[in-house]
Amino acid sequence: MTLAPADSLTIVSLLPRLLDTNGDAANARVLAQRARWAGVDAVVVPVHTVTDLPDRADIVVIGSGTDADLVAARDSLLPLADTVSAWLAGGVPILAVGTGWELLGDGIDLAGSTVTGLGLVAGRASVLPTRATDDIVVTTDAGTTGGVRLIGFENHARGYTGVAQSLGRIQSGTGNGDGGEGVVAGSFIGTHLHGPVLARNPHLADRLLDAACAARGLVRVGSAHTASVDDIAKAARNQVAVRLGLSSE
Amino acid sequence: MPVRYAPAILLGRVARTLARLRKPGGGSAVPGLVVNTIAPGFLASTLNSFPQGLVIVTGSSGKSTTTKMLVAALRAHGASVFTNQSTANISQGLTSALLEHAGLSGRIAGDIAVLEMDEGHGALISGSLEPRVVVLTNVMVDQIDRFHDSDMVAAMLSKIARRATGTVVVNADDLHLARLGENIAPPVAVARYGVTAEVLDANPRGLGYTLTAPTRLAASDGMLLTGVDGRDATVSVDGATHAVRLPARGTHYAVDALTALAAARATLGRSFDVARAVTAISGIPPVFGRGEVVTVRGTTVEFVLVQNPASFQLNVDSLAPGTEQILVAVGSDVRDPSYLWPADTSGLGHVLIASGSKAHDIGLQLMYDGVTVDRIEPDLGRALDEFLALPEPATGVKTIIFSADSMRRTRAHLGLATNEADPS
Ligand SMILES: [Zn+2]
Repeated sequence: MTLAPADSLTIVSLLPRLLDTNGDAANARVLAQRARWAGVDAVVVPVHTVTDLPDRADIVVIGSGTDADLVAARDSLLPLADTVSAWLAGGVPILAVGTGWELLGDGIDLAGSTVTGLGLVAGRASVLPTRATDDIVVTTDAGTTGGVRLIGFENHARGYTGVAQSLGRIQSGTGNGDGGEGVVAGSFIGTHLHGPVLARNPHLADRLLDAACAARGLVRVGSAHTASVDDIAKAARNQVAVRLGLSSE
Repeated sequence: MPVRYAPAILLGRVARTLARLRKPGGGSAVPGLVVNTIAPGFLASTLNSFPQGLVIVTGSSGKSTTTKMLVAALRAHGASVFTNQSTANISQGLTSALLEHAGLSGRIAGDIAVLEMDEGHGALISGSLEPRVVVLTNVMVDQIDRFHDSDMVAAMLSKIARRATGTVVVNADDLHLARLGENIAPPVAVARYGVTAEVLDANPRGLGYTLTAPTRLAASDGMLLTGVDGRDATVSVDGATHAVRLPARGTHYAVDALTALAAARATLGRSFDVARAVTAISGIPPVFGRGEVVTVRGTTVEFVLVQNPASFQLNVDSLAPGTEQILVAVGSDVRDPSYLWPADTSGLGHVLIASGSKAHDIGLQLMYDGVTVDRIEPDLGRALDEFLALPEPATGVKTIIFSADSMRRTRAHLGLATNEADPS
């Protein structure tokens, strides 16, 4: 059990050893740093087993692993299912990337077999006609996610079906495979944008932090450091946009 | 060796001369391409013709250092060795390197060939090769957008290993390779090497392998790395302990030395003399970080090459403490920026310039790890000029950490001799 100071955010990173092939576990680090730069203390708690669980979670992230570890990752998640379910019921913001998202869903269809998921999120992962390995640009829905553009990288062989509300529409790339990318379900966000998704798209990070801080009555303040880091993120996004022939911000 | 390759070799030499006229020191893949196109059997035929056979060193990381050490150990035993020192490890580059040495008969002088091969290209060209010994270093998640995942890397290494006619040398601590070793059947032998539990415990981040074997190798089952202290290591061979001097700090160099020892024994058989091999390996000139130390524009610069996400971490961790002037450059070879994020770069502390076409992405990674980044300058030439013009550092040497693409551009900008081909 990890005890954080009362005025500190607890950011849970689920299975960072198994699910960090693309550095997705760094999303926890990005959230913690942004909180600190904004005057809010934050701790990152890696959770591999129930004994690692903190007394409270303010934000939860889970990332992507290799297909060889799918069953091992699912089996490691099973004892945590009740806790994750309670977090979702309690409105705790959860960001799930790639495999982590798929495992929280109903199941994963592989060539010739299926891995049953935890069934905490609607929909399932199914094989795409071709592997998607490229830059991806998504315009998020104005109502739920502020109508901003997300730019990242995707590398996956499966899409996702049964999404009631996607994170946004594909401008470039593959995403779920049906013109949409990701899922938004209550406080849950699933996405194929891997690696530095929150670093490159700080508005998405701040969306998670806003929800967590509001729930705790904590106030974030702007800082010159955050602004300069976000300028670099914007330059990184614009570089991709220009290469793809899209307008820069 | 058939004379029928003579026209191809001559044409290849012409292409080489033309390529060098256009781009001094570079363009080395072109002559290889010429020869491979008009005489596709040249490469395999030449490599399979060494009287004491061919040794292939492959794996995600540690190939170059291990190859260098193995060659030194073999030469110390009096063997005449052909090796691809220019790290020309793609087939065109390799053919070009062979062209440098082949007579018009296609034959190359030497008892034995020791080749470093990239796992991807090795798997592509290995089908026609008959290596006597295959040496496997490790499986790390390498160049994610090219190989997708470690299982694919393991499958490619397995394909190369299946070509071995004598011995497959495997890292018993790497679970992928340990499993691969279990599937090798007589008459092909397996030679194993590994670290002790104490050595593993001294590396809290592990050794960088995608999967680490749950148990350690017993002394009776192979060669062991028993201790590492700075640039000094101890190894246990047949119950006797030997001290090895390493070319640089870091457990991965000690593992490279152990790999080279195991490979030398597999290659030399009964004429292997452990003391002779240890002395030769200990005589490898020092390197700092991963790369090399060069003098350019009157100042000393250390080059540190990052080959994959795991080597990024190892390189950051083995940088000399207190290194004051650091430039990090990441180029277009890192297409997927997620490559950079599994690493913890906080140990760098302060980076003067982040550069390369991925300057913004590496800058972000560093800043989120709490590293102070003074400047983001995507123009690598300008970044290098300003970095080299800075006053000498009070501690350490000017250090440039770069990806392969940025390394090539850095060498070109500074007018340094280019490595002949892809360095991975
Ligand atoms: Zn490689």
